[in-house]
Amino acid sequence: MEIHKDYIGSKIGMWLFLLSEILLFGGLFILYSVYRFKNPVAFHLAAEELNRPFGTFNTLILLTSSLTMALSISSLQKGRRPSSQIFLIATIFLGFLFLVNKYFEWIGKIHHGIFPNSPGLLERNQGEVLFYGLYYSMTGLHGLHVLVGLFILSTMLLLILKGKIDKNHFVPLENSGLYWHLVDIIWIFLFPLFYLVT
Amino acid sequence: MKTGEQNFHVVKNRTYVLVWVGLLILTGITVSVAGMNLGRLSISVALVIAALKSGLVLAYFMHLKYEKGLWLFKVMIPGILLLLILFIGLTFFDVAFR
Repeated sequence: MEIHKDYIGSKIGMWLFLLSEILLFGGLFILYSVYRFKNPVAFHLAAEELNRPFGTFNTLILLTSSLTMALSISSLQKGRRPSSQIFLIATIFLGFLFLVNKYFEWIGKIHHGIFPNSPGLLERNQGEVLFYGLYYSMTGLHGLHVLVGLFILSTMLLLILKGKIDKNHFVPLENSGLYWHLVDIIWIFLFPLFYLVT
Repeated sequence: MKTGEQNFHVVKNRTYVLVWVGLLILTGITVSVAGMNLGRLSISVALVIAALKSGLVLAYFMHLKYEKGLWLFKVMIPGILLLLILFIGLTFFDVAFR
């Protein structure tokens, strides 16, 4: 049986999905900017409490994981399977590290009594409640995307090991890479909005 | 599409590493600018640098620079981004003049 493979079609389909993701996060970014516009002082105060070194470190991790992802794809395209696998494992490891950091960051905040609907947070003014609501939902949704990305990349690793993805058929890995890079781009915007702009 | 036709571009590893270095430098700039307390300017500086960084990721890591001849990419992606900018613009028009 001949299996029909449409390389360009696969990528266009992936891009359509990615664009719908951009609109999903775009809605949240609009919400953020409107609330920031309406509560500039509260957002300023709340943002100063976030741990900037933590956020910077996570940015470096995700940027590096994007590099290893891109290198993994180009290694596979060149037919270098072992180095492709090593770069893919590095990407998965960095993604995992990102989530571990995020976990400690969230736990730290929760120990300080700052989490959605917590008594300590509700005592503060409305703007700070909004800021932390957005912080948890936006970084949470992003974290969920990282988690999904880790599952996808692990599946790709298995497929490479089984030889189902190779030099002649690498579009699944390339599309997974596109997803991973999009998750990186979303973080590129989340990072300054929550950690840097005070 | 004919089978075996090379319709993809293998990017050099050197290019990827240079892009990564560029991304790290931009991150360094945006973090140090944030420490300067530029006030209202700080949000525009942060957003411009974020846009530059995502431009680098889109063009090189996501291969948009190399998707030549694919007019669909050139219409679809800027189209969606314009739609998003339009949404943001209309929302602010509404919020600011309410």
